[in-house]
Amino acid sequence: MSQELNMPLIRLLVVKDWQLFQKQLAALVLAGIVALALLGLAKPWSFYLGSLLLIVVLVAAACFAIGTSLLTERKEQTLAFVMSLPVSPLDMTVSKLAGNLITFGVPFLVLLLGTLLVILGTPLPDGLLTMAILLFGHVLLAYCLSLTVAMQVESEGWNLFVMITSMVLINPFIMLLGQIDSIREPARGNDIVWSTPALAILAAQILLSLAALGYILWRHRRRAAFY
Amino acid sequence: MQSPTPGAPQGAPTDTRVHALDHLRALAMLMGVVFHAALAYSPLVQPIWPGADRQNWWGVDAAIWLPHLIRMPLFFLVAGFFTAWLLAQRGGAGLARQRVRRILLPFLLAWPLVHVATSFSTQWAMQYVDHPAPLLVLFRQLMAMPDPPSLPLSTGHLWFLYYLLLFSLLLWGARSLDWDRFLGKWLDAGPAVVSLSLPLLLWPGFMLTGAPHPAPEGLLPQFWAMLIYGPFFALGLGLHGRLHWLAPLQRCFWPGVLLCLGLYALFLLRLAEGATLTSTPWWWAAIEALIAGWGSLLALLAGLRWMQHANALMRYLAASSYWTYLWHLPILLTLQYLLMDHNWAWPLKFALCLSATLAICLLSYEWLVRRTALRRYVG
Repeated sequence: MSQELNMPLIRLLVVKDWQLFQKQLAALVLAGIVALALLGLAKPWSFYLGSLLLIVVLVAAACFAIGTSLLTERKEQTLAFVMSLPVSPLDMTVSKLAGNLITFGVPFLVLLLGTLLVILGTPLPDGLLTMAILLFGHVLLAYCLSLTVAMQVESEGWNLFVMITSMVLINPFIMLLGQIDSIREPARGNDIVWSTPALAILAAQILLSLAALGYILWRHRRRAAFY
Repeated sequence: MQSPTPGAPQGAPTDTRVHALDHLRALAMLMGVVFHAALAYSPLVQPIWPGADRQNWWGVDAAIWLPHLIRMPLFFLVAGFFTAWLLAQRGGAGLARQRVRRILLPFLLAWPLVHVATSFSTQWAMQYVDHPAPLLVLFRQLMAMPDPPSLPLSTGHLWFLYYLLLFSLLLWGARSLDWDRFLGKWLDAGPAVVSLSLPLLLWPGFMLTGAPHPAPEGLLPQFWAMLIYGPFFALGLGLHGRLHWLAPLQRCFWPGVLLCLGLYALFLLRLAEGATLTSTPWWWAAIEALIAGWGSLLALLAGLRWMQHANALMRYLAASSYWTYLWHLPILLTLQYLLMDHNWAWPLKFALCLSATLAICLLSYEWLVRRTALRRYVG
């Protein structure tokens, strides 16, 4: 079954999602700059506060992106209006997927780049890089899973449950990384070490994220109706 | 039409040009070249300036810290003005494109080149100069260690481009959240209130850093730098379209100049006891905030009073100042290294370094930028 995508309309829908998300994104960018400036104070308390704020910003970006473009729209019955446009269910899926990946992807990449610069460009041990990338990998996976559920399941309760649970799991995940010698020990030194467990975790995060996104496309390709 | 420096629009018709601001920005940037050339002969920065000469004189310190407190605040004020002009002319997307073309790309290209050139000449000086600066001696000792520590990455003297980008991002955020209305309310309070409150806004920034304040060269944004330069950028944004609003302040011009000189005398008295490194006592920071705030406003008033008209020389300097500022430091440091072992009088060395640096920058601008495609980016 092959369908032609209505690209101009998809682009408009993506722009619409971006504009709706702009205020929240602006607040997140400002919070991200404050977090980086806290790290720049180079004091132990400001490092912990800055790192925490960075994680909060990342998690908030993921939750707000999904919340604004999917959950709120559903609640406000916007879909009924979109159905009146010359748009197919697949167009809608692609626009939601692209819009979400852009609205989440921009702050995600900016913060990832900022974090890498912080680690490599300051006296912090370069070995932290592996652990930092694995943490970003966790947020990416949690986001992709939440997005999959949000696009598949209508229940707001289930969506919030998956979103909160997957993001909160970052805490046990940090503890888990701390238990693995080949990840914990190099984080204190200046050599960047990609041990087998670190590579396996990163590979699993990337593959599962891609699988989640692929699943959405596969499921929605088979749908002929919006409901 | 003038070719402006970073943050300034290109392609504006001449009649909409505010010549005074173009000239002020050019002077602020060229003052930076003079400042860096003079640092080699300042007793205060002997331990931390790689090009420091054996000869120094207290009069250099007495002369350079006043423009240091004013030139970059003034630059950000003018940059804010032109940012607002661009926003009004081309909208948010046009501003973003201009920032990428004239700030981000030059920064990303010049940064590694400046870093490599400076490292190369410094390594040469460490090896071959017989009378090295204290910092070069320290570098030599560090390099002689079995596992020499690497210096943290920094933006060097290009930090102002980094902060221009950061302020543009903050401006986008503030506009998205409708926070720009606070700027309008601040200016609506009148020039007297703004002049009195500006130093108050700067005060915490000066307390959070050493005195005289260093360049915020780190890769991470610094609170103190945002607190010092941010209010000037915001004031510049607000002044777009209402420069006439400053007219009542012209009455206070000469008393203001005298007041700033008096404050600067107090600043120098305290400086004679030594610089501070990580934070500054509240009263000294207050003096710095008053000088920076009022001094920058006075410089702006002076520009509006005496530099309103087009001038061929200033036009050329304004057009070339971005390029000159981008490349002056590696050239200047190389010349300072080359002259370190000579016993010539320091004023001669200073004049030679300064004039040769400006000559090399202006000639390269003439050959590489003025009539080439590079003009769109750094002309």
